[in-house]
Amino acid sequence: MKHIMLASILAGALAMPAYAADYSIMAPAAPGGGWDQTARSLQTVLQQEKISKRVQVMNVPGAGGTIGIAQFASQQKGNPNAIMVGGYVMVGAILTNKSPVTLKDVTPIARLTGEYESIVVPASSDIKTVADLVAKLKANPGAVSWGGGSAGGTDHITVGLIAKAAGVDPTKINYIAFSGGGESLAAILGGQVTAGIASYGELESQIKAGTLRLLAVSSEQRLEGIDAPTLKESGLDVVIQNWRMVAAAPGITAEQKAAIVADFDKLDKSKGWQDTLKTKGWQDTYLTGPAFEEQLAKDIAATETILKDIGLVK
Amino acid sequence: MSVDTPKTNSVQRRPDWAALVIAAILLIVAGVILFDVSRLRDVGGYSQVGPATVPSWIAYGLIGLAIWTIAAAFRGDFPVREKQEVKPVVWIVAGLAAQMLLIRPLGFSIATGVLFVLTAAGFGARRIWISIPIAIVICLGIWWVFDQVLSLSLPAGPLENLLQ
Amino acid sequence: MSTFDFLLQGLAAAMLPMNLFYALVGVTLGTMVGVLPGIGPATTVALLLPVTYQLDATGSLIMFAGIYYGGMYGGSTTSILLNTPGESASIVTALEGNKMARAGRGGPALATAAIGSFVAGLIATLALAFIAPYIVKIALVFGPREYFALMVLAFITVSSAFGDSTLRGLTSLFIGLALSLVGIDQLTGQSRLSFGVPDLLDGIEVTTMAVAMFAIGETLFIAAQGATAPDKIEAVKGSVWMTGQDWARSWKAWLRGTLIGFPIGAMPAGGAEIGTFLSYATEKRLSKHPEEFGHGAIEGVAGPEAANNASAAGTLVPLLTLGLPTSATAAIMLAGFQQYGLQPGPLLFATNPQLVWGLIASLLIANLMLLVLNLPLVGLWVRLLTIPKPWLYAGILLFATLGTIGANPSVFELGMLLLFGLVAYGMRVFGYPIAPVIVGLILGPLAEQQLRRALSIAQGDIMTLFQSPIAAVLLILAALALIVPLILRSRGRGDVLTQMAASED
Repeated sequence: MKHIMLASILAGALAMPAYAADYSIMAPAAPGGGWDQTARSLQTVLQQEKISKRVQVMNVPGAGGTIGIAQFASQQKGNPNAIMVGGYVMVGAILTNKSPVTLKDVTPIARLTGEYESIVVPASSDIKTVADLVAKLKANPGAVSWGGGSAGGTDHITVGLIAKAAGVDPTKINYIAFSGGGESLAAILGGQVTAGIASYGELESQIKAGTLRLLAVSSEQRLEGIDAPTLKESGLDVVIQNWRMVAAAPGITAEQKAAIVADFDKLDKSKGWQDTLKTKGWQDTYLTGPAFEEQLAKDIAATETILKDIGLVK
Repeated sequence: MSVDTPKTNSVQRRPDWAALVIAAILLIVAGVILFDVSRLRDVGGYSQVGPATVPSWIAYGLIGLAIWTIAAAFRGDFPVREKQEVKPVVWIVAGLAAQMLLIRPLGFSIATGVLFVLTAAGFGARRIWISIPIAIVICLGIWWVFDQVLSLSLPAGPLENLLQ
Repeated sequence: MSTFDFLLQGLAAAMLPMNLFYALVGVTLGTMVGVLPGIGPATTVALLLPVTYQLDATGSLIMFAGIYYGGMYGGSTTSILLNTPGESASIVTALEGNKMARAGRGGPALATAAIGSFVAGLIATLALAFIAPYIVKIALVFGPREYFALMVLAFITVSSAFGDSTLRGLTSLFIGLALSLVGIDQLTGQSRLSFGVPDLLDGIEVTTMAVAMFAIGETLFIAAQGATAPDKIEAVKGSVWMTGQDWARSWKAWLRGTLIGFPIGAMPAGGAEIGTFLSYATEKRLSKHPEEFGHGAIEGVAGPEAANNASAAGTLVPLLTLGLPTSATAAIMLAGFQQYGLQPGPLLFATNPQLVWGLIASLLIANLMLLVLNLPLVGLWVRLLTIPKPWLYAGILLFATLGTIGANPSVFELGMLLLFGLVAYGMRVFGYPIAPVIVGLILGPLAEQQLRRALSIAQGDIMTLFQSPIAAVLLILAALALIVPLILRSRGRGDVLTQMAASED
């Protein structure tokens, strides 16, 4: 028993070299989810590429990240070593949960990666194009059931935007929220719902196997290696990206902020990070500085409008 | 365990007050549910079972159970309770409360050490000058294994910072 | 190459001494973390996955399989010995297992859990290897209305199997249902019973509840007995190993548990707990010793433990054949597989046979390693019970809170532990059973969501619930489970049934 313990401790110690603390990253989600994976990948790469000596990851799960952001903004004020992972889902969660702490209360640093939404139907469906789907939606919005992730999330918002762009009342959409990616995908595959919506990565293997038909993706331009039009080309002016970002604590100085941005610039260019993006299937949508802040403000405003239109936010 | 406690067959004239209190609690819970869901909006659904429907069913169920409990209380249908000693329970509750309050400022080892000592005291091990240091050493060891080696993040305090 | 050749090749690779060592390390690490109440296999795998990245593909797959099985088994040990289930799938194990441990039969309880897990894991992994594509087709037929019917069946069979008073059993169940309402309503995004507290928006964590209700409630209850209770539990009465009779009573339960757990695990919205609930209810109904249930019936440990493990292998069916992560654990595994270059999906078995069969072989080896590691330790584990009470219970609370703090280091969560620990203590004092609270907490939201989804898809047509043949059959079974015992009892022929359902005080 004793040497088993020893072996296990050794194996664990391999994973964690002992340096002095440097960055501490908060993942506002439970271990295992997308934000946690981002935080843990950042931990690995920042250490590997010697950008930071020692990186710690802390999980503060709950309520779409709003518990995490509230804690981060109040406890880390002025701490130049504190980093928080976040994402587009947080924008919606802050609005629907009426969170008193918003992304304005932290210091956004950079957008790291992003995924685009894809609209699919089962291969056996008589819907062949976005135009077919829109025609059905216009005829009877209730008859088109959409399977996707939780209410008020990126999938739901996208469906709301599609309805609005097609000239259909967004409050009339028949959106069926499922708890996890797997559950909604099962419902789409089983033909339980008319159409499905999820990030491309979740559906990729089914689309390639021909069990699902990809109607469109939500990117600005066509995506490399994906044989489908954008929603824009299909006549619906909808562009949406489910991005993940990092933010620093509020109340840090301009120099401290510049130093963190410089570290993440280095990270984005590093081979370690590019390799991680590839193995995880994450798109590199790195954006920083004023361009990022402008994009963020635009996304927040658009999200608030559509959530009001759907009726999820008063 | 409690499920095995002997049941009373004696004819009780007095109602069982504890059972009446339980019934009251059930009614209060039902009332809170009904009050809370009355403000929900039925948005975007084509189902006639909306966000407030199932909670209302549950609330009505609780009301029914409360009435049943009141009937049982007057019939003396409740099991006889074994005598409970309050003191040890207070020790342990104090330990859990202390851990909750101390974990942020003082870190995992001290807070959990206090819980350990107070729980042991609740069970009769009252020689605190022995158990405190032992508890804190055990907790530090556990903290080291789980936080440093197995990457579970446990809050650090002054003692943990010495080890890092 | 035929599938069988691939499997043999995978097994040969997994049997290399170095890989066996990795399996051992994985199982040990997984057990160490999984043993913490409040930390289930999902969190265990998420936390330990980075350790496996250091190894080559085969080695890391094997260590990963070890961590997964270790994390799952760790929960049963504490359930049986200390009545502190670490995660929702081992709650049922605590019901009979802890009674056995208290009666000096902890050894056989641990052994039947370990061997049952092994047998179920073995059968289910082989089923995964050979009939996964067929199983998954059936699983996909299940939509919201079929799941709703399944939940109704689970509610009815399970609620008749808990406790000896209908009033108190139902009250416990409704307390669980009421608590399950807390948080954001998944289908409309509105918060219910959260009173503006952000920490409540995600609802009440089942694991937190299980730890509070079992570990803390139990500790308080034992402490309140004071000096009247015996100071020590006799750790071993009779043999520490399973007797012939134990074997005779266990093996059928293992097989039935596997049969129930595997398909339910394979269903995209099944969930491991439901398999354990149904297995417990089945064993109670079929047992020749129904009077022992509630006092330490070995079938009540053997069946649910087998169901738990079989459903874990069942989860891999949609994951490997469709790329569908249907549980938190599966979602993390998906992330892990991508790291090893596996892209789960419909083409996986065709494009990547070596890795798939390597994984299946790894699962078989890890399963075996778990048995090898744990059977000899049974005697040692049982000795835990001989620790003097003050230190034993101080240790239980230490580990119970450690798990909760590790999963979510928040003061609020610790406050919930204390509050619901006190509630559970009160319930024990007044003879309310604890398990139905957890059943309500788990099944309530599932049933509600599936009902509302089904109705929403059908645009409000309530007949949709009966129009699918599978749903109709499940609902008829549920109705029979409710009515038949009533008829039998009213005719005075239901002696055995009365005992089982024991509804009158």
